[in-house]
Amino acid sequence: MTVLILNLIWQISTLAMVALGLAIVFGKLRIMNMAHGEFVMIGAYAPIITSNLGLPMWLQLPVCIVTVALVALLFERVIIRHLYGRMFDSLLATWGIAILLREVVELLFGRGYQSVSVPIPGTVDVLGAQYPLYRIVVVAVILVGFAALAWWNRRSKVATQIKAMVGNPELAQAVGINTGRLSAAAFVFGCCTAGVAGLLLAPTIRIEPVMGIDYLIRSFFALVVGGLGSLEGLGLGVTLIAGTQSVIGAFASQTYGYLAVLTLSILFLWLKPDGIRSSSR
Amino acid sequence: MLNKTLRLLASTSIVAMMVAGAAQADIKVGVLVPDSGPAGLFGPSTRNAAELAAQVINAGGGIKGEQIELVFADVGVPPAEAAQAALRLWKGEGVQAFVGMHDSAVREALLGRFNGEVPFVYTPVYEGGACADGLYVTGETPSQQLAPVIPYLMDAEKVSKWYLIGHDYNWPRDTNALAKGYIGEAGGEVVGEEYLPFSVAEFDSSLQRIKESGADAVLITLVGGGSVGFNVSFAGFGMDKQAIRLGTLIEENTLAGIGADNTKRLFSTSGYFSSIEGEAAATFAADYAAAFGADAPALNTLGQSSYEGLMLLDALAEKAGSLDVAAMDAAAEGLTWATPRGDNTLTGRHMAQTIYLADGSSGAFEVVTSFANVASSEACAN
Repeated sequence: MTVLILNLIWQISTLAMVALGLAIVFGKLRIMNMAHGEFVMIGAYAPIITSNLGLPMWLQLPVCIVTVALVALLFERVIIRHLYGRMFDSLLATWGIAILLREVVELLFGRGYQSVSVPIPGTVDVLGAQYPLYRIVVVAVILVGFAALAWWNRRSKVATQIKAMVGNPELAQAVGINTGRLSAAAFVFGCCTAGVAGLLLAPTIRIEPVMGIDYLIRSFFALVVGGLGSLEGLGLGVTLIAGTQSVIGAFASQTYGYLAVLTLSILFLWLKPDGIRSSSR
Repeated sequence: MLNKTLRLLASTSIVAMMVAGAAQADIKVGVLVPDSGPAGLFGPSTRNAAELAAQVINAGGGIKGEQIELVFADVGVPPAEAAQAALRLWKGEGVQAFVGMHDSAVREALLGRFNGEVPFVYTPVYEGGACADGLYVTGETPSQQLAPVIPYLMDAEKVSKWYLIGHDYNWPRDTNALAKGYIGEAGGEVVGEEYLPFSVAEFDSSLQRIKESGADAVLITLVGGGSVGFNVSFAGFGMDKQAIRLGTLIEENTLAGIGADNTKRLFSTSGYFSSIEGEAAATFAADYAAAFGADAPALNTLGQSSYEGLMLLDALAEKAGSLDVAAMDAAAEGLTWATPRGDNTLTGRHMAQTIYLADGSSGAFEVVTSFANVASSEACAN
């Protein structure tokens, strides 16, 4: 039972970390970022990039953020900035970007699997159950990160500015919001959180160029269920999606777990397309 | 830039080779490889191994004194498209025999088109039981991989309680049906059995079930990325202390993805590992490195199998005296020939071969033991 609860917390918090970037880019900027999973993938490759460059292990995080930010900024300036407010066009364009990123990574690192060592190996005793120490540290890091984000989100005007910018770009500019810089910053920030999610998950998952699609799909399900535009909605969505898979997977079978996740997502798209929470409409 | 130039050079030289080959080739052999799709990872090494086989065959005088030329097609596509591609080679380009490394769905689609009119050697690990006219199999079947290995491991590692986990399709299910028999005969028991959909990427609940089952051995028939993810989590939970793992398709790429930190007490059974010893295997590895460079796509049982397939085709055509299916069918039973894998015999149109058990604990496969001339119980009656 303890392990089930710990697994549940792990699944929910890692999915929240993975989906956060999509919640920002899709939920706030209205860019249906199909390349979201590829930024998770690049983040997971960060330890490999770091060791290929001959850099020490503690530089993995900076390498991850710099790499993802540069790639995201490049695409934002060249392609994405022309597509704000054009959701369907952004879907097609980012799908193309996703394919391009997969091919580039394949060209650089090959099609085969990569592996990343666990920086904090071993298991610890949690209420009588052996649990991987690394997972516990990652969950703690994610919780602190989200607490900081929620605090900042409440105090800062950025969320309101983004809402103004997406709703009426000209008016937003007229009241002194630098929309170009703001949208680029929000896009790059969203992609960077995806990259960091990939970096955190890297020692616990398979790493290959095509791995991103799994993370895109699960993030998308979570947003569909939770609703766009708020941290609470994101929290509800990831809890329902990750929780359903974990609990039904544990008590019935993984097949039924996945079936339940798909059913839930379809029901929400059909009956409640705005999700449980939606603050932006 | 350098890379681009190299690529250009490579493609130019391939074209040159094709032109030169076309001028002198007498027998065209279709080689069906996965360039795309889930098995696309194995495309490059499969092609290389086939090229190497063609060089060896041609250096030895070709098939019945005629040089062979390989014509490749991508079969990492849906079965109907793969069948179309093969048909183009056969009817359009005059290919006289096929060697294929692809999944079973593609094989069945091809057999429907070939109709026993063209010889076809099927080379990857598979579930067994394919017995169409003109079809010859070199790949390992579950009985070959498990019948000698399960009793050996149970004795050597002192394990008896098995948990069977695989992806949900016929290869894992057929494998486990046989495994249960071998486990029972060796005095062990099966404490759990589970099949996962390909869409599942987290294995926490399965690991918990394995833990609670008290299993001290896990038979893994998950494939590709699923196998990597499962094994990484397995070790992450420290389960490698509780149970040994045995995989029937954990090849060199999968092992690299799992990573040396996570491979303690992980075994793999196969007809080929790039680390097997012996003169033929060493010569093969050296030739491969000489032909394709030190950075060439790594060999494994799937990539190397196209070499096996072409060597079988050569040996069979020589014995039959032609590439005619009826003559080859008549000559097939009892054919013996040697390859890097060891000495092989064709029985029931499947390849009785040496099976190797390797330990991946160090992060690379080290052969623990081998079993010579293991025949398949899923071979054909004729």
